[in-house]
Amino acid sequence: MTYVAMPWGIMTFSFLVNVVISASTPTGPNGIYTGGLATIYCFLLVCGTLSMTRSLPFGLMLGVSRRNYYLGTALLVVVLGVVYGLGLTLLQLVERATGGWNLSLHFFRVPWIMDGPWYQTWLTSFVILVLFFLYGMWYGLVYRRWSLLGLVAFIAAQVVVALVVVVVVSMTHNWHAVGQFFATVTVPTLTAVLAGIAVVLGLGGFTTLRRVTV
Amino acid sequence: MFGQVPAENDTVLRRMVFVREEQSYPDFRVGHAIRVASWFYPNWNEELAQQLLADFDLPLGRRIKRLSRGMRSAVGIVIGLAARAELTLFDEPYADLDAVARQLFYDRLLAEFAEYPRTVVLSTHLIDEVADLLEHVVMFDHGRVVLDAPADDVRGTGMTVSGPATSVEEFVAGCTVWHRHRHRHRLGSRASVSIADSLDFATQARVRAMHLSVETLSLQQLLVHAAGISADEKVSA
Repeated sequence: MTYVAMPWGIMTFSFLVNVVISASTPTGPNGIYTGGLATIYCFLLVCGTLSMTRSLPFGLMLGVSRRNYYLGTALLVVVLGVVYGLGLTLLQLVERATGGWNLSLHFFRVPWIMDGPWYQTWLTSFVILVLFFLYGMWYGLVYRRWSLLGLVAFIAAQVVVALVVVVVVSMTHNWHAVGQFFATVTVPTLTAVLAGIAVVLGLGGFTTLRRVTV
Repeated sequence: MFGQVPAENDTVLRRMVFVREEQSYPDFRVGHAIRVASWFYPNWNEELAQQLLADFDLPLGRRIKRLSRGMRSAVGIVIGLAARAELTLFDEPYADLDAVARQLFYDRLLAEFAEYPRTVVLSTHLIDEVADLLEHVVMFDHGRVVLDAPADDVRGTGMTVSGPATSVEEFVAGCTVWHRHRHRHRLGSRASVSIADSLDFATQARVRAMHLSVETLSLQQLLVHAAGISADEKVSA
């Protein structure tokens, strides 16, 4: 199934590859850090897109209103986020207990953001999982409504927004403040910011949904 | 619809099913899709669904992606009929079916309608195949409504008269002529003209008296002429 087997399957594959690599190469003093965990988040983005491109027409056929379909999918995502977050947290604990799977491999313990207490890891994982899925959903909806051209415009718009932020920060000479923020932010605060972004993405997707035709 | 605005209205949407051609499905097998659909309709008839699946020869365990176009349309039709929704919309989902499957659909549709009456709206390009099923006809041409009438009012309103050219011309004088058919292989002067006139007793008698032969136009031909008329009106206006 796309939502269960594939994300975990891909991540497991990435994990095993990393295990093999760390087992066959000499380990540095600090252990091996890898970004392989990103695979599950990226795949949830894909799942989000698929939920709106492939399953939405079927839902509309059966007389489900767009609002209900969106909210129902969002609810599914929240549940998935809780369960998968728990899974990732447990794997992190096992990794810590076995000293990095006896290989000093840091796969599930991402430095700083997912290296803390289990409840914090759970919450942060949950927020990031949901964020990626909602982001994917928005992409799927943009594609359905405005097709490929709209998708490209959507990406371009995001780049423009980032550009505007950079320009504004530069013009008001606030890089110092930005640097200060990132240097002193704590994990809970960052999680809250990410949660806020997730909500924005959710609302954005919802407004795009209103006029999606099949 | 049902006394309310239908857009995003759950109570209204719950009572309708919309089957379209080129319907895309999630990564389901046929059996899954049928089961999911059954959750959404209070009037769902599982027995009918199973029977239709057997009639259309649909393999329950195969992924919908791997079905041929015709079978995929059949899945949509099974859902549309078994849902027994008060408003059932078919947007040419049978366009990909072969003639046998199409006939099966029409038969089942009629049987279902008799057993569980509901409002069925179907759009089609194959007018003659459904001509006998229709109660009301609406025809669109270039986005405008060209005809909107009960089917019975439309049926029988046109005919083709054939015979010796002079007799035919005499017969159709004064009638609205729709089309003069050209015959290249006939010897002598024969003609065949389609006119707007119904075959009542008086007309039948005249036809016999003048030794002409007449054929009523099918619904499809009538609609083609109706579209032709509206196009002419547009040109002259």
